[in-house]
Amino acid sequence: MSKKKWSGLLAGAVFALACSSAPAAEKLTILWAQWDPANYLQELVKDYEKQTGVTVKVETTPWPDFQTKAFREFAAKGDAYDLVVGDSQWLGAGSTGGHYVELTDFFKKHGVDKSMAPATVEGYAEYPKGSKHYWAVPLEGDATGWSYRKDWFDDPKEKAAFKKKYGYDLGVPKTWAHMRDIAEFFHRPSEKRYGIAIYTDNSYDALVMGYENVLFGYGGDLGDYKTYKVKGIIDSKTAVDALKFYKELYKYTPPGWGKVFFLEDNQAITEGLASMSMNFFAFFPALTNPATNKNAKVTGYFANPEGPTGKRFAALGGQGISIIKYSKKQDQAMKFLEWFIKDDVQQKWAELGGYTCSAKVLQSENFRKATPYNQAFYETMFMVKDFWAVPEYAELLDSMNKRLHPFIVGNKGSAEEALAGVANDWDKTFRKAGLLK
Amino acid sequence: MAAVTSKGHKFWNRALVGIVFVLLVIYLLPLYWISSTAFKPRSLATTVPPTVVFEPELTSFVKLFTSRVQMRGEVEPEVYQKAPWYEKRVFDSGERIIKDANGKLESSGYLSRFLNSIIIAVTSTFLAVAMGTLTAYGFSRFKLPGEQDWLFFILSTRMLPPVVVAIPMFLMYRTVGLVDTHIGLIILYTAFNLSFSVWLMKGFIDEIPIEYEEAALVDGYTRMQAFFKIVLPQAATGIAATAVFCFITAWNEYAFALMMTNSKAQTAPPFIPSQLGSGVTDWTVIAAGTFLFLVPVAIFTFVLRKHLLRGVTFGAIRK
Amino acid sequence: MLARLDPGSASARRGLSDIAIRNLFIIPTIVFLIVFNIFPLIYSLGYSFTDFRASGSAPANFIGLQNYRELLADEYIWNNFTITAKYVLVSVGGQVLVGFGVALLLNRKIPAKGLVTTLLLLPMMMSMAVVGLFWQLLYSPSWGIINYVLGLEDFGWLSNADVALYAVALTDIWMWSPFVMLLSLAGLSAIPQHLYEAAAIDRATRWYTFTRITLPLVTPLLLIAIIFRTMEAFKTFDLAFIMTSMESTELIAIRLYKMAFQEWQTGKSCAMAYVVLIMVLAITNIYVKYLNQAKAR
Repeated sequence: MSKKKWSGLLAGAVFALACSSAPAAEKLTILWAQWDPANYLQELVKDYEKQTGVTVKVETTPWPDFQTKAFREFAAKGDAYDLVVGDSQWLGAGSTGGHYVELTDFFKKHGVDKSMAPATVEGYAEYPKGSKHYWAVPLEGDATGWSYRKDWFDDPKEKAAFKKKYGYDLGVPKTWAHMRDIAEFFHRPSEKRYGIAIYTDNSYDALVMGYENVLFGYGGDLGDYKTYKVKGIIDSKTAVDALKFYKELYKYTPPGWGKVFFLEDNQAITEGLASMSMNFFAFFPALTNPATNKNAKVTGYFANPEGPTGKRFAALGGQGISIIKYSKKQDQAMKFLEWFIKDDVQQKWAELGGYTCSAKVLQSENFRKATPYNQAFYETMFMVKDFWAVPEYAELLDSMNKRLHPFIVGNKGSAEEALAGVANDWDKTFRKAGLLK
Repeated sequence: MAAVTSKGHKFWNRALVGIVFVLLVIYLLPLYWISSTAFKPRSLATTVPPTVVFEPELTSFVKLFTSRVQMRGEVEPEVYQKAPWYEKRVFDSGERIIKDANGKLESSGYLSRFLNSIIIAVTSTFLAVAMGTLTAYGFSRFKLPGEQDWLFFILSTRMLPPVVVAIPMFLMYRTVGLVDTHIGLIILYTAFNLSFSVWLMKGFIDEIPIEYEEAALVDGYTRMQAFFKIVLPQAATGIAATAVFCFITAWNEYAFALMMTNSKAQTAPPFIPSQLGSGVTDWTVIAAGTFLFLVPVAIFTFVLRKHLLRGVTFGAIRK
Repeated sequence: MLARLDPGSASARRGLSDIAIRNLFIIPTIVFLIVFNIFPLIYSLGYSFTDFRASGSAPANFIGLQNYRELLADEYIWNNFTITAKYVLVSVGGQVLVGFGVALLLNRKIPAKGLVTTLLLLPMMMSMAVVGLFWQLLYSPSWGIINYVLGLEDFGWLSNADVALYAVALTDIWMWSPFVMLLSLAGLSAIPQHLYEAAAIDRATRWYTFTRITLPLVTPLLLIAIIFRTMEAFKTFDLAFIMTSMESTELIAIRLYKMAFQEWQTGKSCAMAYVVLIMVLAITNIYVKYLNQAKAR
């Protein structure tokens, strides 16, 4: 290549650099993951821009890198973002690490703790649990639910065969035991039809969320949230039974189901692979559209079934929005939150496709009828339960992944060993962090 | 091995050439699969059994360049009727293109990321190859105290797992104001590629017989002239190969492209996988992004192919 | 093979002195690399002796060698190293076999050789993340083309604990063999034709020609390719992380990523990085020794 060409390119690069420093107008930047709710939020804030003249930009980053990107900015005390829509588990790190602005006064002044559904305030805003200290405004409610093939379930032939085999009617499962039966019933590898799609990805929280659904439903728990005692709880008989059950469900999944999360679970429905599929409600919109799901017309939705003792819980997903301590526009951000919690804004948020946490909107007839899955979402939002939100949550997640995945997917060891291992690891982590004396 | 002429050898030669082409086909199958996915409708990307024959379409490219949202229901017929063809295609696949207040379609940012990638990859490749060639020549031809150690130091700069240096690097960049700038990524990739560039160029320059330069020096060339007029042309293969590899590395770097940028200097690699979708898997858009992103490197390599294959000692000066 | 000029030898008095040229050519690069790497290196080394978490604001406490002790006592980490070693061996070995083999095949008159070479280089022109994603699609038991072509019904390449690592390595081989190929090809084409002619006159066997002429002369460039592929294979992250997540595929870089960016055990991850660095240094050192020996011949 000639020197001229190269110098031309260099000049181009220098020019591009000169252009890259635009002046800062009245502008707020929100960091969120790259998915549809972020697009809905970007559409919602156009109204704010119209009313106040303040531009709000929702900057997104792919899910797998979202956490990394947010925390590298915190670590550098950077002001690139004014607000962040952070995962519920970040609350501990965000609050004790001093990255989030405390919103307790804001909550009291505007009654946010009353206007949002109680479980969401607890899950997305409060840290430590029960302390009445708040760090985020619940923004996107989410939890796991199920989609299923109505046509398979309603087929008279299947109904008769099912009744004959199990002695009760085939329908939306009321208990986890029913769900197992149905999964087994529809699991027909020779027909390329499989029983059930569940989460198994162990790279972040998918597998753990999936197991939590069963664990909580069985009446088990991850530990004592107040004292951080885990031994005797996470490795209890109940927890072991729940894990064995989850592994049994894995038997009825499509082939190669060892690292799956929301995309694959939706695909199990759209490609006609499974009769039922676990997923976060945030991913259901694609299933209701015939253009993205050829089975849309015959896809139904239901909330988590009951455990053996009649308990019913769902693993919490979703996020709250927090103001970043290092932002130079905290007042402006506060004003934005004031606007966001207004009833009409929450109403619009829901209409656009956001999963509002506003109790009023959730309870309205309008909302519950708006989509085929909103009723199930509404039911779920009052029975959600979350993973640990302590700053060490990721270590806890990782050790659980490490112990459970080989057992469930790799068929290694026993449920007792796996959970005893988790209890041990967690106990160590909590002691090291000084939470467990 | 061109000196073989007998009939048996000719047959063997043909057979081996045949094998090369068969291997090539097998080798390119996955690539064909990626490229063909770019032209498939979304629903045909993951069918059981896989779809091989289909009617190609450009929907995925429309999607690649626009910012879209999943629709919960079907589009209203009047809206659909009024939409231009490309928007219809997006509607057909169950999504709608986001529009700003004036009704203008919102771009996905792929284009600007693509341009950033070009600026950053080209500049950093040039710097890495230029510096690498000079340094390699220096090491190859002159004595330097502790030169093995220096060479090993240069090599070692590529050994630390990037995950660990990401945070300190980010802090360093913040302090000097290089976060989210083109120049920041250019410096970063130059540093990444330098160790490779020095080592590879040294490998090539070592192969060039020193007698050529000596002869030139005797003929009255200065050392610099000998370097530019004799060594550089000789090292063309090495320079081409190094440039291709450096370009590929800079072009595809993912982790730091993500860590060190926010919005202005973002390159394309982190963007492409994110197009997998958040409702249903959409392989077509990533395939389209990958396909387009392959074009510049492929052209770059194709342009340099003659140099790549020329060999080291070709074009030697007459002694 | 390598004769070198003493700086300041009589042959080059005109223009810049040899010492000046040497310094001009070498020093900027070394200074640049030192400036660029010194802070991250010191930062990581310093924090490797502390319990620092970059995600929080608590000050770092000096804990001496505790991180290193914990790492070396951790059964999982040793497992990670074993897996990594297997992976490096299989994938780099495969790349050398395929890459060098194809280079031997290509080292003759072939129609459209430039195009063929460019096409063969295509796999390595994509990002690891994209390659990982697409191979996941290719390997899929339900709609992947591989099982369909091979007639393997429900075989889960990536969810089978015994196979998953090799499936990833296969992808890596597919992607990076061209790298070895191109460098080998450059080395092969540099072998002076007269050596082969001389061997033919001596009626040397093909094997003799190959082991005594071809191999030794290609070794320097081939070894450089192997050094860099080994270093990269050791650091493999995106590919394996995206494609599978079995216990048997948790490479050291994946463990490191989880430690650094999910758990935010910054101090411990820095310590681990140094352990990895020392291992890679040791391995590369052996290679470099070989390389120098090969060159000295």
